[in-house]
Amino acid sequence: MKKIQLILLLSFFGHVIMSNEVNVYTSRHYDSDDLLYKEFTQETGIKVNIISGKGSALLQRLKSEGSNSPADIFFTVDAGNLWKVQKEGLFQSIQSDLVLSSVPENLRGPNDEWTAIAKRARVIFYNPENVSEEMIKDIDYEDLSNPEWRNKIVVRSSSNMYNQSLVASLISNLGEEQTESWANKLVSNFARKPQGNDRSQIIAVANGEADLAIANSYYIGIMLSGSAGEEQLVAAKKVKMAFPNQKNRGTHINISGAGVLKSAPNQKNANRFLEFLISKKVQKTMVDKSYEYPILESIRPSDEIASFGTDFKEDQISVKSFGELNPSAVRLMDRSGWK
Amino acid sequence: MNRFSIWRLLPFAVLIIFTAPLLIVLSTLFGSYSENWFHLYEFVLADYIISSLILVIGVSILVLFLGTVTAWTVTTYNFKGKKVFEWALILPLAIPPYILAYTFTGLFDPFGDANNFIRSVFNLKDSTIIFPNVRNIYGAIVVFAFTLYPYVYLVSRSAFINQSKSMQEAARLLGLNQLEVFYKLALPLIRPAAIGGMMLVIMETLSDFGAVDHFAIQTFTTGIFRTWYGLYDLQTAMQLASLLLLTVGIFYFIERSSRGDGIYTSNNSTFSPNEEVNLTGLKALTAFLVCFIPIFIGFLLPIVELSLWAYEVNLGFFNNKFLENSINTLSLSFLTGLICAALALLINFSIRYKPSILVGRFSALLSIGYAVPGLILAVGMVQLLVYLDNLAFSGFDIVLTGSLLGLVLAYVIKTYALANSSIESGYERISYSLDDSSKLLGSTSWNMLGNIHIPLLKTSILTSVLLVMSDVVKELPATLILRPFNFETLAVSTYIYASEERMIQAAAPAIAIVLIGLIPIVLLSKMIRSSRPIENRE
Repeated sequence: MKKIQLILLLSFFGHVIMSNEVNVYTSRHYDSDDLLYKEFTQETGIKVNIISGKGSALLQRLKSEGSNSPADIFFTVDAGNLWKVQKEGLFQSIQSDLVLSSVPENLRGPNDEWTAIAKRARVIFYNPENVSEEMIKDIDYEDLSNPEWRNKIVVRSSSNMYNQSLVASLISNLGEEQTESWANKLVSNFARKPQGNDRSQIIAVANGEADLAIANSYYIGIMLSGSAGEEQLVAAKKVKMAFPNQKNRGTHINISGAGVLKSAPNQKNANRFLEFLISKKVQKTMVDKSYEYPILESIRPSDEIASFGTDFKEDQISVKSFGELNPSAVRLMDRSGWK
Repeated sequence: MNRFSIWRLLPFAVLIIFTAPLLIVLSTLFGSYSENWFHLYEFVLADYIISSLILVIGVSILVLFLGTVTAWTVTTYNFKGKKVFEWALILPLAIPPYILAYTFTGLFDPFGDANNFIRSVFNLKDSTIIFPNVRNIYGAIVVFAFTLYPYVYLVSRSAFINQSKSMQEAARLLGLNQLEVFYKLALPLIRPAAIGGMMLVIMETLSDFGAVDHFAIQTFTTGIFRTWYGLYDLQTAMQLASLLLLTVGIFYFIERSSRGDGIYTSNNSTFSPNEEVNLTGLKALTAFLVCFIPIFIGFLLPIVELSLWAYEVNLGFFNNKFLENSINTLSLSFLTGLICAALALLINFSIRYKPSILVGRFSALLSIGYAVPGLILAVGMVQLLVYLDNLAFSGFDIVLTGSLLGLVLAYVIKTYALANSSIESGYERISYSLDDSSKLLGSTSWNMLGNIHIPLLKTSILTSVLLVMSDVVKELPATLILRPFNFETLAVSTYIYASEERMIQAAAPAIAIVLIGLIPIVLLSKMIRSSRPIENRE
């Protein structure tokens, strides 16, 4: 009891410095990640301290704390936020040969400020009962504005960062003017006012409320696993996944990534933590639990995800474009009436 | 008279510390304005304002209706179930609006549980959709009204109880029927109390993000976060939040001044309670339904749906960590409740003891903290804490930032309005003549507070602690960026799952929030049960 009181008292006045630990600010909150952190502690004796929250909010706390920040690692699911930290100059270069030799260069910061940990693709879901193979084969994001899809597409609100990144990638590839005319037409193809999350779009397609849904790849894995309930499992079995732009630049992907902060008090532990995250064993557990794509080529995605095909072409657009173009993407979607 | 009386200085000192994060948010109004303002003005601002307005007006009307009608029914009539309804009507306070929003879509979406259920019972086709779409502003109005009406119910009920029988008898003699007594006499008389409760509802509605975001309605709050997260423009987001604050502030002042100088304290010696009218048959059934429907929609329905969800996944959530999170949640909310109540007591006392316009205005500023979206307040808080850290502990590591102290402070600012409303209305019922007599008899200020006011305000103080607790338990997104490492609360787990719409996983911690939120609510209910003046007149 005494001990609990002491700990409570200490925690009331801030963070107690302990020698062997690593402090992580993360916007990933998967239960499976927590288990991995525990494993890291068991393996290395380094305690993992976590604060999780929205990427933007954590970045703000980081900026306010400045050089006094206790944070060692910034871990986020949004490439835009990764770029913001990079631009603010808050990252230091990763000091681990293992990370630098195993992660492909295009999945690291320009000066190794961060490394990708996992990937997700923004794909098109369809119900083969309503959409023929002919119609969906070789589909591009650009085709979604065609009149044949009038009132047949569902997608979530433009407040969602995955939609913002997708539009940013289109601006980067097609230019702002062409993307805007695309967005205007896409909005008139919506089957309903944007609502719900990626999974409710997939369910809408499964139930025949719409023909096509734009959503992230891993959601179908979660749904197929049955962990989200019977209803979602049934819906997920009805739909298929199409990878857009295979004949040209490739499907839009986004990354989860992490980097070591300049002011990190536990720099060594932080690098070790990154090494742990990209180790084969952890990558395998991670993709099996979160249904993302691994960053190591030697690792196979989870069975649920692999069943839709693994060797698709990825758009190589840089994280910098995501970050820089994100505000333009939001303004463009506002103008086009994408709610 | 001592000009530097503690009752002049104390509220100021406290107020300055406690309003600092709000002032930090407001100070952005004096900073630079980015070009995003042109964009907002041209394309979205009108939408934000109009939907926020519709939302506030709709919620106000519905809440006023639900709150006063139920309060009137349980105070004037006697019917089967009334004893239970009297306290059960506040149960929806334990349900956060965003959780009701999630259960609503889970039930009423075209392929939600309610539609599926009806379809399977009557063997209907998949294309038959029975319930109307709830993902719109009307759905949001219903969600807010049915979770927040207890604020109006609570104050209306105690105001109705305190209305004298003689007044109503006179009205009946003058030929008013029971309904007319309600809206011509009883309702206007409880106006200040009901409007006070409604202000809380309006502020909570305006600061909400979870429910409106889930329904994809473009309100001011969603606009604030869209500007911050999407346009990467925190400055403009905080300016938007400041505008929201100022608007609420203006409302608040109008409401204050519309009360005028009329003092609503009554001299209790001629008080005689109303006799209840016995209802039977159809009338009793109507009264029953009037009370049952709000409880059903605002409490029973979400509980049932959450339980079904929780049942679908494993119940592994209820483990040691859950216990720890629950203790964190309870202690955090209790601490916040105590501080809020003490602060509200001191400030209201000092306003009464040494009336000062400045303190009055300042304390109003504290109450509008309730209308700030939690995360925006947290941003102001982080800046304040870092500043204090650099000031006081330069050379050391960060001490205050990421401490529980900062977290508690943020929640005190966020929920002070709840404590204040309860203690303020408590004070309104203490006759000024009591103060005058005690001053004449030479008692000191502390004496007056400790020996006269506090015993008389016992119920109000307890109510304010409990109201604050029930709010802190359920509403903690600010915790996400202010908390110390590894400090989790139930709302954190729920919020994390819910923000990714993993509602099935969120169901277990959400039920836990409701259960823990029920502790203060049940205590409140208990007070309500024993608050009938007939049974315990002192």
